[in-house]
Amino acid sequence: MSDETAPGGHAHQRSEQPEATGSTEQEAEAAAQAEALAKMEDQWRRALADNDNLRKRAVRDGAQQRAQERAAVALAWLPILDNLELALAHAPAGAEDPVVEGIASIRKQAIDTLARLGYPRIDAENVPFDPRIHEVVSVVETNDVPPGTLVSVLRPGYGGPDNTLRPAAVVVSRAVTPDRG
Amino acid sequence: MAKAVGIDLGTTNSVIAVWEGGEARVIPNAEGARTTPSVVAYTDTGERLVGQLARRQSILNPKGTVTSAKRFIGRRYDEITDEAKAVSFDVEADDNGLARFKIHDKLIAPEEVSALVLRKLADDASKQLGEKVTEAVITVPAYFNDAQRTATKDAGRIAGLEVLRIINEPTAAALAYGIDKREHETVLVFDLGGGTFDVSLLDVGDGVVEVRSTAGDSHLGGDDFDRRLVDYLADEFHKETGIDLRTDPQALQRLFEAAEKAKVELSSVTQTQVNLPFITADATGPKHLTSTIRRSVFEDLTHDLVERTMGPVQQAMTDAKVTANDIDEVILVGGSTRIPAVQNLVRRLTGGKEPNMSVNPDEVVAIGAAIQAGVLKGEVSDVLLLDVVPLSLGVETRGGVMTKIIERNTTIPARRSEVFSTAEDNQPAVDVVALQGERELAADNRVLGRFQLGDIRPAPRGEPQVEVTFDVDANGILNVTARDKDTGKEQGITISEGSNLDAKEVERMISEAEAHRNEDVQNRERIDTLNELDAVAYRVERAVNELGGAAPVHDKARAELLVGQARDAVSNQADVSTARELISELQQLQAALTAAASSATATPTGQQPGASSDVEDDDIVDAEFDRG
Repeated sequence: MSDETAPGGHAHQRSEQPEATGSTEQEAEAAAQAEALAKMEDQWRRALADNDNLRKRAVRDGAQQRAQERAAVALAWLPILDNLELALAHAPAGAEDPVVEGIASIRKQAIDTLARLGYPRIDAENVPFDPRIHEVVSVVETNDVPPGTLVSVLRPGYGGPDNTLRPAAVVVSRAVTPDRG
Repeated sequence: MAKAVGIDLGTTNSVIAVWEGGEARVIPNAEGARTTPSVVAYTDTGERLVGQLARRQSILNPKGTVTSAKRFIGRRYDEITDEAKAVSFDVEADDNGLARFKIHDKLIAPEEVSALVLRKLADDASKQLGEKVTEAVITVPAYFNDAQRTATKDAGRIAGLEVLRIINEPTAAALAYGIDKREHETVLVFDLGGGTFDVSLLDVGDGVVEVRSTAGDSHLGGDDFDRRLVDYLADEFHKETGIDLRTDPQALQRLFEAAEKAKVELSSVTQTQVNLPFITADATGPKHLTSTIRRSVFEDLTHDLVERTMGPVQQAMTDAKVTANDIDEVILVGGSTRIPAVQNLVRRLTGGKEPNMSVNPDEVVAIGAAIQAGVLKGEVSDVLLLDVVPLSLGVETRGGVMTKIIERNTTIPARRSEVFSTAEDNQPAVDVVALQGERELAADNRVLGRFQLGDIRPAPRGEPQVEVTFDVDANGILNVTARDKDTGKEQGITISEGSNLDAKEVERMISEAEAHRNEDVQNRERIDTLNELDAVAYRVERAVNELGGAAPVHDKARAELLVGQARDAVSNQADVSTARELISELQQLQAALTAAASSATATPTGQQPGASSDVEDDDIVDAEFDRG
């Protein structure tokens, strides 16, 4: 482009040449500078965008890490609640022992606390199996309930379909198959 | 632009990692886990479940749950008849003799199953990254033949991914450690995963990685170690109580969870407690399982499993015609390589070489694959290359210590400032000594330059505010300025050689700082404490002088005594505990004097009576200059 500038300069070509070269040089320099500026602006915008994205990601990562840490801590306490429940299951039935009653209320307190942390208890029976919140540990063949129904919950789970802390360990029904066993 | 990822498509678990901003990182799945089980389930209702969800229903649906699809991909049925017998689902040959899964009367190719796993990994990653994942590098075992590689590539295509490249798992591991950049090395990769064991010998040189030999055991892994512990605990319990816990699914599940936890713990501690109260009950009442497992017992139980890795390692070395002395690097892959006994065996077999395990062994293959994806996409040049400050920059402050202003590894350009003050009453000038290095004492660091800021108005020590600013531009040129906030007078220097140290020098300085860290920290603590003692003695002395006759006589006498002791302690470089004691006594005294002052006079004697009113929150004076 710069080669075709300065039209009509033929007559004075000789005298104008240095000047023309000068202006071509200047133009080339200007073009180079414009290019450098454009590149700079591009990089600057990238850097800003990068920074902005990083900030957004930090916010997202922070929320995610808090959720993960909360889940990890809650999960570590679960066996203690499980064992408390197992212990209560061995309490003599019928007898109104105030100590047992007290411990039962501790159990309830623990379950409520988990629910408040966002992990409600999963222990409903006679519901259809849902792999998001249930884990099959055993299967029974029966025609009493539709196949794929929770016959019993061996160990309760905690959480919801989107934030399962631990799935409930369940026994699920299967249709009686004549060709089996 | 869509992101390129690396995927470790494993037999039992898979991992996905992304190359982003110059480094590879693992992306957790939708359930928040960093590894995803390579399990796919086809339910009665026609649903397809992938990963953890599929695994949870496998007992209910054994015929429709496909695990270990990797063992069948790209294989002919007659090659894998043994494998087919070991799984719960049906494997058949199609018309061409290729292995197919028969699920609900339909033939499904292993590629389709692997594609579902890949799809889940990519979809979950897309959600995490906020942009679509369309291209991937996928890893396969080094012993995979052409048919298996092609089938794996097809799985990627079925999943809607453009497979940039199929690379070997051991090669990916070497990439993750950057070993491919070395001149010429022999690398042994020891991969003990959940269910398979592979060992490979690599020839690495100038960016080319060649697999010289591979060997392994397709049915050996971490799950075997868990089972040994479960059997041990169940046997012990059986001996004690006559009850076999293995017949009770709920007890067995608790036992497996406890065994895995114990195994993991025994990698870092030498004994652990297994505690399963109310594990079962009989006519006599509830039964508890409590057992202490020592690492030596665990090692005894799993001794033969560890020994089984020996044969393949020796085989691979023989095949590659190398001896233990020829091996330059050893890389550990797979979670089971965290077991100390396994690491010891690897050391023994490789002539005592210390294995590489700084990258998480569960993730190292995916990380390497992501690095390869980054290289193939040329994304390295796409990001702005940012430089960092190789060593910390700071100034010398009272007691000859270095106060850091810009920390090492700060990305430049960077600008930081801090406010300092004087150490003496009516100090007319401060000397600013710009330092570079990681040591606590100024004398151990490099002096970059020094200048003096003069004409400070006469004032008690601690009152003048001198703001020191360090500014490193994009080229690493350092500008140091000091400004008297009272007069606005400024002084500064420019240092251009600051970050031009060569890498070796930087490394030396950092390792020296590491080596001296303990004594440096002690020195620093002593000096800081003595500085504090000196400052509090000064404040007490001033409070007494300001109070004059109003000071209670006994307080005044005590102040004179304590200030004298403090001065002695400072000049004799007393130890930290003595100084601390004096500090706390002086602080009490100062409080008493302040109380006396407020009751004696109507105008409270603030700490900085003449201080300017525009003192901002961040103008905290945290050190003093003592020269000048």
